[in-house]
Amino acid sequence: MIEAVTTSPLFGIVLCIGTFQIGRWVQKKTGLTLANPLVIAILLCIGVLLIFDIPYEDFAIGGDIVNMMLGPATAVLALNIYNQYAVLKSHFVPVLVGCTAGSLFSLASVLLLCHLFRLDEAVTAALLPKSCTTPIAVGIAESHGGIAAITMVAVLVTGFIGAVCAPLFAKLMHVTEPVAEGLAIGACSHALGTTKAAELGEVQGAMSGIAIGVCGLITVVAALFL
Amino acid sequence: MGIMAQIGIVLAVCLVGEGIAALLPIPFPASVISMVLLFLLLAAKLLRPHHIKEKSNFLITNMACFFVPAGVGILRYADVLWANLLPLLAICFITTPLVYGVTAWAVQLTMRAIQKKEARHD
Repeated sequence: MIEAVTTSPLFGIVLCIGTFQIGRWVQKKTGLTLANPLVIAILLCIGVLLIFDIPYEDFAIGGDIVNMMLGPATAVLALNIYNQYAVLKSHFVPVLVGCTAGSLFSLASVLLLCHLFRLDEAVTAALLPKSCTTPIAVGIAESHGGIAAITMVAVLVTGFIGAVCAPLFAKLMHVTEPVAEGLAIGACSHALGTTKAAELGEVQGAMSGIAIGVCGLITVVAALFL
Repeated sequence: MGIMAQIGIVLAVCLVGEGIAALLPIPFPASVISMVLLFLLLAAKLLRPHHIKEKSNFLITNMACFFVPAGVGILRYADVLWANLLPLLAICFITTPLVYGVTAWAVQLTMRAIQKKEARHD
């Protein structure tokens, strides 16, 4: 009976949605950045599989269907960029210069450190796009032979650092322009950082959102030359 | 527009994106091609925001949920993760503040240069 349940595609789907809703509830109750619904959902899913000794392959039958929604979810980010088109246009040159500098510096510094730590190719390719938003980062990593799961860990860690430390960075580095602050948060810590940027101010939030899209595109193109 | 039609539009654009990605000789993520396609359709006014609004909002607000399976996939790569955990954390902690600083200062310096140029014109 148990096997009939776990090998149904519905098992993976229900487990993903159920654990994610628990994660949302925990974040709402605690209000902590670290109580991220995605992290909680992943840990709960892994816990359920390990405790009840359910093979990963059973979970993946439904998990692949949930995973399939990532493509469309990334594509509709186009609507966000379109809605912020006016803001983007009014700061076009600083946005382009800042995002290009940030994206290229991120790729170069990660590549340098990966060589320094002697990491293998599959891990290096997974870490390279870590400053991008998860859907774009996973896309870049997979098309370059990187391990998607490793990319996700790096993207999440980076996002948390940005979201928690962004106000401290601004103080230490004398960043006073709200436009610069927003773009920098989006460039270094994508969507997780953007939640913090939106708390800091409307300009910061909008610029951070724009940086996610622009840096993502620049990184995709730059990664082709690596 | 009806939700079924919205789902159809978004999925159709993504299908075209996957087709283009398969044709390209370079590794370019299909999802990003679909995003660019959708943006071009919106910019060209062939699609209006209300054609895909509800479907888009649903996908974006629940985006994190769609990442759960990929995250659980770490089960298969637990050994790779443990073997590389320290360098991974070091890289994240070193590069994140640096990327923040480089981006912020590139923007601030550019904005000041533009302001100076405009002041001179006045």
